[in-house]
Amino acid sequence: MRKTVSHSELLLAILRKDIRVYSRNMIYLFLTVLGLVFFIAIFWLVPDTVDEEITFAISPPLATLISEGKESLQAHGVPAQLLDQFDEFETAFEEEGFVLVEFENEELLIKAVSGELEIYRTDQGRFIIYDPDGDQQAPADAGKVSLDIGMSFPSSFFSDAVLGQQSTVTVFADAAVPEEIRGAMQGLIREMAFQLAGHELPVELPDEEMIILGQDRLGDQISMRARMRPLIAFFIMMMETFALASLISNEVLQRTVTALLVTPMRIWHFLMAKTLFGTALAMGQAVIILIFVRAFTVANWPLLLVIVLLGSLLFTAVAMLVGAAGKDFIGQLMFSLLFIIPLMIPSFAVLFPGSAASWVRILPSYPIVRLLYDVTIHGSLWSDSITLIIYAVIWALVLYGAGLFVLKRKVAAL
Amino acid sequence: MSIKRVLRILLKDFSVGPRKPFFIWALIMPFALTLLFQFAFGSLFEPKPRVGIVDLGDSAVTGAVQELEGFEVSILRDVDDLVNRVEQHDLDAGLVLTAGFDNAVRAGEKPMLEFYISGESLASNRIIIGVTAIEMIRDLEGSEPPVDVQMVYFGKPGLPISIRLVPVIVFYALVMAGIWVPSASLVEEKEKGTLTALLVTSVRVNEVLAAKWLLGFLFAVFLAAVTLLLNQAFGPRPLEVMAVIIIAAALTSMIGLLIGIYSKTATMLFTLIKSLGIFLFIPVVFYLFPEWPQWVAKLFPLYWIISPIWEVSVMGEPLGSVWFEMLIAVAITLALIPFLLLLKKRMLA
Repeated sequence: MRKTVSHSELLLAILRKDIRVYSRNMIYLFLTVLGLVFFIAIFWLVPDTVDEEITFAISPPLATLISEGKESLQAHGVPAQLLDQFDEFETAFEEEGFVLVEFENEELLIKAVSGELEIYRTDQGRFIIYDPDGDQQAPADAGKVSLDIGMSFPSSFFSDAVLGQQSTVTVFADAAVPEEIRGAMQGLIREMAFQLAGHELPVELPDEEMIILGQDRLGDQISMRARMRPLIAFFIMMMETFALASLISNEVLQRTVTALLVTPMRIWHFLMAKTLFGTALAMGQAVIILIFVRAFTVANWPLLLVIVLLGSLLFTAVAMLVGAAGKDFIGQLMFSLLFIIPLMIPSFAVLFPGSAASWVRILPSYPIVRLLYDVTIHGSLWSDSITLIIYAVIWALVLYGAGLFVLKRKVAAL
Repeated sequence: MSIKRVLRILLKDFSVGPRKPFFIWALIMPFALTLLFQFAFGSLFEPKPRVGIVDLGDSAVTGAVQELEGFEVSILRDVDDLVNRVEQHDLDAGLVLTAGFDNAVRAGEKPMLEFYISGESLASNRIIIGVTAIEMIRDLEGSEPPVDVQMVYFGKPGLPISIRLVPVIVFYALVMAGIWVPSASLVEEKEKGTLTALLVTSVRVNEVLAAKWLLGFLFAVFLAAVTLLLNQAFGPRPLEVMAVIIIAAALTSMIGLLIGIYSKTATMLFTLIKSLGIFLFIPVVFYLFPEWPQWVAKLFPLYWIISPIWEVSVMGEPLGSVWFEMLIAVAITLALIPFLLLLKKRMLA
């Protein structure tokens, strides 16, 4: 008596076996859970803001400096209406990118820059000077400000500059302040003096709209946390390569696949089951991660699922290639790394500002990383992503074809 | 214990080692990390303003900008290429110096400055580049600034990120060679049955363990030294650095040996190293973030070897300044011996 077994029943039977083997492999189960928890924790620990400001101190306060300058110049007979242009200097320091902390005198400024005094900034933007050696407690509900550079102006700075007299400004800086910031602060003081002395800029400056190229992200920079979002989804898919490769390696090493072939199971059942299992495993985890990092939106979820599906298929294909070698645990681990390391490169490329190098774009994992990045960070949708999706499909199919070919040959040769 | 037999086993491990994947990876890892950290991540953590210049008239500004410290300067030939790179944020800013620009500035003709800024450039970088560019052009104009700026510095200059990453790379050299190599070698002997085969000869288990420890120790000393050399972090006292490395390698190899004795299979070994790795790695993270409370790092065993390496090799301190840390490292190594004896009994059983 023979009962005909359908293809779907056969596939389900192999899948059930694979799930059982996987769940018994404590190392991969442990690493899967650890990986999920670790990546989610890292994501929420990484800062969500970008510090794009230069914080510096001046003494005396700008208002004092201007009013004393005006008084001195009036005493020298300069008409009051000519001195109104001084007020423009105050607005210059309000430009985005500058955070100005004002001190009554040089002594306080030196103490703040040298770290003897701490500076806190309230949510309302007010600065509080705090003496850690004093009796008072550190201000609550205020963030500590790192003040590495300070400028001490002589009270006659404005009048000296206007009257053409040389004055001296002392810049106090922590030695760790990068050279380019120190240079820029010196340049800023010199330019102020030039402007006060009536030396106009030696060049014409174009309009701001003309010189900013690309989307202006001033005040809206992409934070490290946002950059991590596509990365961790990619890494979690990649990590499943190790698990599936190990599963296949064991089947090859222990010849269980040859035992299965005496049943109605055919090689393609085995290959299809591995494809389904590997893809579902990687995709399932990537989706969990993307949910926890709040990557899905009403608009992007179908597109994100397609990208994750393609990524999972790509890494399943890599696992087939690695697993077909049928190496022992350590050998398989090291062999996997030979494939994984080049595939990781595009993921690091997105961390850096600018576009990826041409050779990075050729790598099979590049379209997946780029798509995840564009969709989760720039909000790209289907129309913006179609070229990259086609590119990703081509790579996934090429690698999957290679994986099937190599594994099929290996199984047939056992 | 026969030293001759220990050396024979060690020689055997060294002769078959290069064919083993764990041996090859232990050898490759510090080199790969040096490359990755020095050339790639260095610029990730401390990005410098990136400026591109197209000089169509041999301007003096180009040379002056190239001499500036703290900027990444690219000289390009094509304006379209410059615009494209700025738009893609491959550059923070781009400057086009037209033919006759210098003469026009000197003649007071106020030429139009062709200047581009990337929309993704940070506000701070925009200010730095803008102010610096204006200053370069003022220099060209030849006018003396009506102010004298004096700089006064506090503290020590900060260390570049490439140097702050040295403990991470040395850590990997010590862990890959000191922990991974002896443990993987021992586990492999267990799995393949060669350990049992060895023990039926006149070789004693202590001799095998001593050989495995020596294997990790020598390999760790070699790789840690090479890593420091590659990162130009040997400092002014190379002999004292070697003394610190020797103590560090002794401790990591002891941990490696313990893991190797405890692990029955490669899977178990991998799980243990993965889990313990995070615990061992924590003190290294504190070197990347010096603003964190540093006392926390002291709670972790490898702090007592990473700290002396940092102080003597990178900071150039004498050996005497880290005697306490080294003493603790030696004490931890010795304290692990009773565990080793216990686990050895368990392994033999």
